[in-house]
Amino acid sequence: MEALGHLLQGFAAALTPGYLLYAFVGCMLGTLIGVLPGLGPAAGTAILIPLTFSLDATGAIIMLCAIYYGAMYGGTITSVLINVPGEAASVVTCIDGHQMAKQGRAGSALGIAAIGSFVGGTLATVALVAVAMPLASLALKFGPAEFFALMVAGLCLVVGLAGNNMMAALLMTVIGLLFAMIGVDPVRGAPRFTFGVEELYDGIGFVPVVMGLFGVAELLLAAEKRQTHMVEAELKSWMPTRQECRQSVGAIGRGTVVGFVLGLIPGVGAIVPTFMAYVLEKRVSKTPERFGKGAIEGVASAETANNAYANASMVPLLALGIPSSPTIAVLMGAFIVNGITPGPFLFKEQPALVWTVIASFFVGNALLLILNLPLVGLWAKLLKIPFSYMCAGVLIFCVIGAYGLKQSLFDVWVMLGFGILGYLLRKLDFPIAPAILALILGPMMERSLRTTLEISGGSFAIFLDRPVALALLAIPVIVIGFLLFKPRSLAPLRESDIE
Amino acid sequence: MRQGRLVATGAMLAFCLFALWQSLLLSLTDRLGPGPGFFPFWLALIGIVLSLALLVSIWREPRPATDASIEEVRILPHGWGALRCLAIVGLLAAVTIAMEFVGFRLAMLVFNAALVIALGERRWWIIAVFAVLGSFGVYYLFTTWLDVLLPTGQFGI
Repeated sequence: MEALGHLLQGFAAALTPGYLLYAFVGCMLGTLIGVLPGLGPAAGTAILIPLTFSLDATGAIIMLCAIYYGAMYGGTITSVLINVPGEAASVVTCIDGHQMAKQGRAGSALGIAAIGSFVGGTLATVALVAVAMPLASLALKFGPAEFFALMVAGLCLVVGLAGNNMMAALLMTVIGLLFAMIGVDPVRGAPRFTFGVEELYDGIGFVPVVMGLFGVAELLLAAEKRQTHMVEAELKSWMPTRQECRQSVGAIGRGTVVGFVLGLIPGVGAIVPTFMAYVLEKRVSKTPERFGKGAIEGVASAETANNAYANASMVPLLALGIPSSPTIAVLMGAFIVNGITPGPFLFKEQPALVWTVIASFFVGNALLLILNLPLVGLWAKLLKIPFSYMCAGVLIFCVIGAYGLKQSLFDVWVMLGFGILGYLLRKLDFPIAPAILALILGPMMERSLRTTLEISGGSFAIFLDRPVALALLAIPVIVIGFLLFKPRSLAPLRESDIE
Repeated sequence: MRQGRLVATGAMLAFCLFALWQSLLLSLTDRLGPGPGFFPFWLALIGIVLSLALLVSIWREPRPATDASIEEVRILPHGWGALRCLAIVGLLAAVTIAMEFVGFRLAMLVFNAALVIALGERRWWIIAVFAVLGSFGVYYLFTTWLDVLLPTGQFGI
């Protein structure tokens, strides 16, 4: 009941014209980013951070969250129309979505994707309301030892489930943590690894790093392939028939459950729930042979799971302060840039902000539905933008984003350096996600560990005396141990597995 | 690919060794508990172990077959792809230097035009419109509407 009261107050704020406008603009920009192939939600959210510099904290977070789930939906349009997923999670949608487009049913596919996204996103947000506050209350009982263990567990789950190469993922985590050590020591205030460079006293800025690793690196990869622009696809209607809606009801329900449950687990990544929901739907179908040939349930299940996952992944962020994916890490960075630390204290210290943001998820999901059904044709036209202009446009945003936060050209150099680094690491198959999460969690992890050891007088045995911390530390040991010695048949899910 | 991964892991090993050395220059513990060097020291040590293990693991990977296509082996871009990548990196570096002297608007005006030309655009009037909108237009949008300060350079432009 308490949550409901807070939520209603959140709605009162989220429905004010200003915040509605931010959600609207965020959904539009997010969809645009999702539509443009090569720019995923993480890159999109990162490069659009400068747009929120002048907004108040609540408005900035509302807009960035709307960009995030807008981008998650936007990828569907290109998947269906031209068989090019705008972001990784839309890969599964290509399977049946593009077949439907070839049969002249693109409108039905996009319509059911919008409806499924709305239902999945909304129901996941309802579940978020029910789960987040009790989880945050539980986390409030945590001491620094438990928080350290929680962050180690979160990072290791991401390492275990996001990377194809376990050892490389672990090394990338350590490299990210070491970069997080640059700047003033968070406990004693002593400068570390600054080499007398004044700009490094504040540490390596998160915004320039993500803009480099995602924005600039993505563009370099695209430039290398000599990408020009995509073809135009024909679109006749945008509504599924009554029979198609009936066929999709079960798929939407199951997709919501799969997306929500997997969204709660850090590191799963958006592609896993969409794939799992698709496979589940094929298993329960009486006519599985239709899948891959334009089955609307295939599109409905994947898209619903995708948006349910996107909303559910906010639970670990808001309740525990643990980002479960690179995009959520970018959002967490944006929270911190705005002076807000996500985690259990957020519900206690800034209830107005957190409930307004949660209410805005409902509003954003509704806006996405209203926007995307009639505007599909317009989004499809965006695919005609030549790469040269898209590249220059994105780079303008990257430069402004890197410079604008601290008015420092040094940060633009940091962005460029990390852009080149990100490009090389991607080419060499080193996973970037663990490094990003480590960079943002590093200072908090260090503070928790050192406080724990100060309490215990330097003894690590304190972790043995705290059962919750011990149990949390056991999770990464089990996960990493299992993944290191797993049978070959349980190799991590890759995009190629779906193709 | 294998060679590239070996070089990259070697670079990470060097980075961890450097971090270990630097953390030893800081105090690892003091009378209150762990000092500023404590966490980076252990991280660097774990990083060294992991990079050594990864080096061994990559070294033991099968070498690419002699008939493997060049594309499978090549890491760095080549031909037109390399030129396009170099254009992006070079122009981004140039605009960062130029912004300090001539400000955002002029630097971005030249950057936008040069980049779209380097990436294949040849219609001069579209290039001109895009360059002006992407520099003066963007400057106006961010400084006036979004209150974001952008460099004005030594001439206040």
